[in-house]
Amino acid sequence: MALNRKVSLFTGLKYKGGGPMWAWIMHRLSGLAMVFFVGGHIIAGFLTQQFGSEVGIAINTIYENWIFQLALFFLVIFHAVNGLRVVILDLWPALLEYQREAIWLQWLTFIPIYGLVLVVVLKDALGG
Amino acid sequence: MKKITLKLFRYNPETDKKPHYDTFKMEVEPTDRVLDLMEKVKGYEDGTLSFRRSCAHGVCGSCSMRINGENMLACKTLVQDLGTNKITVEPMLGLTVLKDMIVDMKPFFIHYESVMPFFVNDEPDPAQERLQSIEDRERFDDTTKCIMCGACTTSCPSFWANEEYVGPAAIVNAHRFIFDSRDKAAAERLQILNDQFGVYRCRTIFNCTVACPRDIQITKAIGEVKKAIATGNLD
Ligand code: SF4
Ligand code: FES
Repeated sequence: MALNRKVSLFTGLKYKGGGPMWAWIMHRLSGLAMVFFVGGHIIAGFLTQQFGSEVGIAINTIYENWIFQLALFFLVIFHAVNGLRVVILDLWPALLEYQREAIWLQWLTFIPIYGLVLVVVLKDALGG
Repeated sequence: MKKITLKLFRYNPETDKKPHYDTFKMEVEPTDRVLDLMEKVKGYEDGTLSFRRSCAHGVCGSCSMRINGENMLACKTLVQDLGTNKITVEPMLGLTVLKDMIVDMKPFFIHYESVMPFFVNDEPDPAQERLQSIEDRERFDDTTKCIMCGACTTSCPSFWANEEYVGPAAIVNAHRFIFDSRDKAAAERLQILNDQFGVYRCRTIFNCTVACPRDIQITKAIGEVKKAIATGNLD
């Protein structure tokens, strides 16, 4: 007998892959999260429009909450910037040698954009 | 001398249902290699410890294992390189474990064979050698360095998830011939890799590039093959 080749999620996550591996995991998770965001948004709209339902209004209240919005923007912007990095590297394979720098550049792009979101959302939320 | 704790993955197919870990405390030189520590255990503490090794000089590719959570060659990794007193050694992931650190490499070599990793040119032999310019040789220099250790393929989450993925090592070895100006089977190899279990399983996670003990730019090689498939152009 030999041990099964199956790699559990836990074992896989313990592998020390570094920045790009985590970027890939977060890309997957944020992609999935976006499906739920958009799905929830459509369902909420439908429920409120058609039935004036309380559930729809409840979902919308969550969506308008500033903490939720910060999380939403984080995931969407991360997904966009990371996707852009992957697309650029795919189109110009020569750049793949600079993958470490690419990850840094990705965060350098992400931080000002998200910073802007932080300022706008927080000003709105806290300043009233 | 340095005091370290060595934690080793153990699995004996004849007696164990599940793997466990054995811990050994020892005094070692910071310049000892992880392979030396394992030889010490095998020689003085427990002769049943099983692992592959041959050259002990980083050229045969036998001793690839997961050292502190990352694939490396045990014979190329010094204790001081790890920067810790706790060293954990486990077998590579994604292949069946036969005993301790020994994994079944068969699926790995089947993928390797599938990409025609040999020179193909049916034109009549020239009177002398087939000439190649320095630039043409340079084109695939990086991928000639592979020692088939398997560190890349077994560090790849796409391969963990699906054994059918041809894997980075096979693509590296395909790259070595695809971009060789003397070889004539590039189109065939590109066709083989233009498959749902071919290059497109690569999600640019870069674990392979980091793991490669020969510092081959693996993700770049895969990217070049992807591009050659998409454009039908080898430039
Ligand atoms: S490409 Fe590097 S990591 Fe992969 S099998 Fe060859 S030498 Fe090992
Ligand atoms: S024993 Fe040959 S590469 Fe390590």
